[in-house]
Amino acid sequence: MSKMGVKPREFGLKPRELGVKKPQFGVKPREFGVGTCVCFSAQCPAGCLCRCPCPCRCPCRCRCPCPCPCRCRCRCPPVAVAAMSRFFTTGSDSESESSASGDETAPKAAGGPYSKPLLLSEDEEDTKRVVRSARDKRYEELTNLIRSIRNAMKIRDVSRCLEEFELLGRAWAKAKGVVDREGVPRFYLRILADLEDYLNELWEDKEGKKKMNKNNAKALSSLRQKLRKYNRDYEGQIAAYRQNPEQSDEDEEKSRRDSEGSGSSSGAEDDAGNFLKRRERDEPRSRYKESESEPESESDEDWGDSASESDSESDEDDGKFTSLASKFLKKDEERRGAERRREEKAKKKLERKSRREEEEEEEEGGEWEKVKGGVPLIKEKPKMFAKGTEITVGLVMKKLNEILQARGKKGTDRAAQIELLQHLVAVAHEHQLGVPLELKIKFNIVASLYDYNPNLAAYMKAELWQRCLGCIEELLELLFAHPEIFVGENVLEESENLSNPEQPFRVRGCVLTLVERMDEEFTKIMQNTDPHSQEYVEHLKDEARVCGIIGRLQRYLQAKGSPEELCRVYLLRVLHTYYKFDYAAARRRQVRPRPQVSPGPQVSPGPQVSPGPQVSPDPQEKEKEDEEKEKQEEEEEEEDSEALMERLCRFVYAKDRTDRIRTCAILCHIYHHALHSRWYRARDLMLMSHLQDNIQHADPPVQILYNRTMVQLGICAFRQGLIKDAHNALLDIQSSGRAKELLGQGLLLRSLQERNAEQEKVEKRRQVPFHMHVNLELLECVYLVAAMLLEIPYMAAHEFDARRRMISKQFHHQLRVGERQPLLGPPESMREHVVAASKAMKTGDWRRCHRFVVNEKMNGKVWDLFPEADQVRAMLVRKIQEESLRTYLFTYSSVYDSISMETLAAMFELDLPTVHGIISKMIINEELMASLDQPTATVMMHRTEPTATQNLALQLAEKLGNLVENNERVLDQRQGAYGGYFRDQKDGGYRKGDGYLRRGGFRQERGNY
Amino acid sequence: MNFSAPFLGLCWKTRLQVVLKIIKHYQEEGQGNEVVQGVLLGLVVDDRLEITNCFPFPQHTEDDADFDEVQYQMEMMRSLRHVNIDHLHVGWYQSTYYGSFVTRALLDSQFSYQHAIEESVVLIYDPIKTAQGSLSLKAYRLTPKLMEVCKEKDFSPEALKKANIAYENMFEEVPIVIKNSYLINVMLWELEKKSAVADRHELLSLASSNHLGKSLQLLMDRVDEMSQDIVKYNTYLRNVSKQQQQKHQYQQRRQQENIQRQSRGEPPLPEEDINKLFKPPQPPPRMESLLIAGQINTYCQNIKEFNAQNLGKLFMAQALQDYNN
Repeated sequence: MSKMGVKPREFGLKPRELGVKKPQFGVKPREFGVGTCVCFSAQCPAGCLCRCPCPCRCPCRCRCPCPCPCRCRCRCPPVAVAAMSRFFTTGSDSESESSASGDETAPKAAGGPYSKPLLLSEDEEDTKRVVRSARDKRYEELTNLIRSIRNAMKIRDVSRCLEEFELLGRAWAKAKGVVDREGVPRFYLRILADLEDYLNELWEDKEGKKKMNKNNAKALSSLRQKLRKYNRDYEGQIAAYRQNPEQSDEDEEKSRRDSEGSGSSSGAEDDAGNFLKRRERDEPRSRYKESESEPESESDEDWGDSASESDSESDEDDGKFTSLASKFLKKDEERRGAERRREEKAKKKLERKSRREEEEEEEEGGEWEKVKGGVPLIKEKPKMFAKGTEITVGLVMKKLNEILQARGKKGTDRAAQIELLQHLVAVAHEHQLGVPLELKIKFNIVASLYDYNPNLAAYMKAELWQRCLGCIEELLELLFAHPEIFVGENVLEESENLSNPEQPFRVRGCVLTLVERMDEEFTKIMQNTDPHSQEYVEHLKDEARVCGIIGRLQRYLQAKGSPEELCRVYLLRVLHTYYKFDYAAARRRQVRPRPQVSPGPQVSPGPQVSPGPQVSPDPQEKEKEDEEKEKQEEEEEEEDSEALMERLCRFVYAKDRTDRIRTCAILCHIYHHALHSRWYRARDLMLMSHLQDNIQHADPPVQILYNRTMVQLGICAFRQGLIKDAHNALLDIQSSGRAKELLGQGLLLRSLQERNAEQEKVEKRRQVPFHMHVNLELLECVYLVAAMLLEIPYMAAHEFDARRRMISKQFHHQLRVGERQPLLGPPESMREHVVAASKAMKTGDWRRCHRFVVNEKMNGKVWDLFPEADQVRAMLVRKIQEESLRTYLFTYSSVYDSISMETLAAMFELDLPTVHGIISKMIINEELMASLDQPTATVMMHRTEPTATQNLALQLAEKLGNLVENNERVLDQRQGAYGGYFRDQKDGGYRKGDGYLRRGGFRQERGNY
Repeated sequence: MNFSAPFLGLCWKTRLQVVLKIIKHYQEEGQGNEVVQGVLLGLVVDDRLEITNCFPFPQHTEDDADFDEVQYQMEMMRSLRHVNIDHLHVGWYQSTYYGSFVTRALLDSQFSYQHAIEESVVLIYDPIKTAQGSLSLKAYRLTPKLMEVCKEKDFSPEALKKANIAYENMFEEVPIVIKNSYLINVMLWELEKKSAVADRHELLSLASSNHLGKSLQLLMDRVDEMSQDIVKYNTYLRNVSKQQQQKHQYQQRRQQENIQRQSRGEPPLPEEDINKLFKPPQPPPRMESLLIAGQINTYCQNIKEFNAQNLGKLFMAQALQDYNN
């Protein structure tokens, strides 16, 4: 049993059956024991002599509806008793037998929807009746159809024949369940054979065909084809039938009986039965011939024949009746009885068959026989321990193997399997078969829990999930309690040691894989839950348990795991830690306890309901239940997630050999740093890892993680006031306009052509669960504000520049959208706020700009989501003041001859040195043509900037230059001389022009301040 | 103020009434760079065309598509005739935005006018210049050469070259004389005396940058277009020459092959239609660039004129300042 968690599942089409099976699952345990009949081997306690073989049909205790002679005039042949007894010889007593059969029907029942009625029929009496009538109905339907076909054949109405045949086919498909149990009934074969003959005859009859009307002719050919195709399935049976149309009936019957094999059956009786039957068969034929009295054609006679046969077929079961008269009198009743009996026979047969099938299914090749012997015993195990059968490890193992063999097979009821395994654990536990065995079975339970869902997309039901968690916890408990047991996925099946106490216990299985799979399942559950529902919160509460399990696993593996395993479990731990903001640490860092903006201020939360705060303390509580020492250690780690991340990631960096785990760890580490505003460390780590260069080779989930990290990095830079870095980090994500998709936080509504259902499924699986989301509005706002702070001064500085570049396309887009509005109301959305703020900033009005960026609405939408919201706001005000000052100077410097810096400081509420600094910087960067006059603290403008008209003229000159150049090319073409006389001259002159432009004060190259 | 016109023996005389109507029309309906249009009515007297009346085309939006302009015009003219006003259709007028009127649309409609009514004319009214204090009203006609080309509908470079059309001789400007009845003249004099000096100060406005800037902007746009056009033409030329080369090569090869064949005594390969093998590239229509050139020319004229005036004003202002100081 290698890697239990990763068992391939090939049954994709199962889900519909699941719904059918489930109720059975609930019903089954009740089923055996209550209505079980114990009388069939002995005389009926009711005093009847029928010795009815049916265990559940008896009038005695099981409320059997069978009309026994005592009360119900049962007509079952006594031979059957023997047959049954032979069949059940393996069972020592009746109870075990019935329980065994009950036991095995449960998993079997899942095999197909057709077996359902069978199961139910055993279940309750009422349903049984229904079932039988259904069977009656089916056969009646068939015979009716056959009759009408025969009629149609008689009047040579082929088209009618075709219709009826189609109906028959449908009815047959419906009756398939019944047929499967009983084999193909004779009358059906008969009609098929007859129809074929009839059609062939018609086909040969060329003249008749010519006479036939068009409809009929068409129907004839199509019916012939259809029938041919149809008959192919029953070829063998029809051939057998043809060989011996009459005899085969009873042969079959006989053989059936024989197979049921009665040692004690009386041959005389049998003979008598046969004799009677034959007589009966002859009788009705003559009768029919008389009654019909239609001496038409040979074929007609044939039909008569077959009709009688079909009757006799149904009659043949009445063989036990001695009196013909009574048979005719009670025909209906008899028939019902016969059918009933036939049904029960069929049921038994099916049971037998199914058991054999199961055995075949379970075993392959040589092992077959060995386990077959053990099957009944092991099946009884759960029930039998009371009786004192010795339960050994070997037996349990065998049983376990047997259960597991069915795993992944088509007909296996997975729910029942889990149930069985759990039962087995209980048994093992009760008999103290040793922890290793329990461990082994538990491993398998968890694996089957994972297997429960047939396809990857489906997620676990809540109940199963809880069980799974519980199981894993128990498993870990066991592992902790028995550290001497060696568990590993590399332990071979043969070298497992479950019972021998002399040698070290070795159990095959990998807890790590189980836990990883559990984590996956958890993610899946979270992905599939509506994030705005209470349900999500409920599920999220399990996060604590998941974390707890991972933590315990980590401790376990720290003691005995290999570095690779440790890396994996560390990564799990890291993945569950990196996105959570460590409030405790943040609080501790600030010496004075700042009033926390606690309601939902996780950085990554979407809604206010986000139970972020609940999550982090929960694991702590959980841990308290653990041992003291562990608890302390845990708390220490818990105390500072930074230290924890550091420790885990360092280990991974050092020990990991698969690139992926390291990449993930680095990204998570950066994310965590960024989340806690450790910008420089985050940035350095990012730069050192060189992830930017090769992330495109990673798989999509890692890429998503990378995107998340970049975004977090950008937001972190923004909080630190590093606007440019923030902008650069966010540019790629935001400029695509697909931030949502890139962060794995939802699919874009795209047309279906662009991605098919398959792709969509894959993409859905990649989604990040909601509680880990990065708030997209926050992200966009941060980006836009950063862009505003960069772009507005730049725009002001390069107002007349023809080759002005955009820093942020998206920001410009927003501005344009704002401009296009015919009526500009007060801003509503975050974007409108930013646009309004940008407009205010353009005119250097920092107060309005500030009011637009930081206000009640924006606080609620964006800024309060930061852990240190006040700091961010303070930083924003400061930045806005500075950038507004710059913008103001760029825009209005042409109006001034000189400005007093004090005035500026007062205007922008900045202190003098800052103003001085900003202006000096602008002068140094040659953005502002001015000089500072120290004594008076004024800025003297130099006025070397070209005026608007001059700018235009310059641009025009440039364009004309282009025009001339192009024109000369045309001239060159004409003259056939490329790059001739004009070119050199022009180039020279041109460069000069360019130079002039540059001297004129255009500094787009150095424009980045 | 009579003016004898050299062209076609016709002179265009306009009445003040018409001018005022056009101005009013623009004031009421045109704003920004939107253009207003209308129909000129009048009659030919001797060698002059007298424009005696006009009426505007109503502005109508895209949605009422069932509005029939022709129907409207006919209706208007009929009504005017009823009140005994000249009703002969002699052309149309259009307002302009910074002198940008040399367009394909104008060319097409003027062509159809001139095609149908020989003496028709288009009056271009420049409201911006008028607002600055000098009435700007110009009459244009297509030159006979251009008429020929337009009739042929062939704007390939060769055709234009053959027709000897350049941007200078696409349109001819026709002198306008505004002639009023004496009574009106008398009234105008009266009015002039009454009007305050301040009303006529627009003429002396020194604010120039706006107008100049706009003109430059427009000029730049046109230059850009011109540039693109030239690039297109250049590509065409290159394609032609490339093909020429290929053709030449092909012919040479064929010739050599034939010589070889002859020496071997085989019949020469049949001459195929070489134009079928090498389809000459579609020459780009040159009308656009002609029009753009014409437009650039107009802009340049405008700017020149404007600058000349402004320079004069500036010198005057300087002198005044010096004098005052």
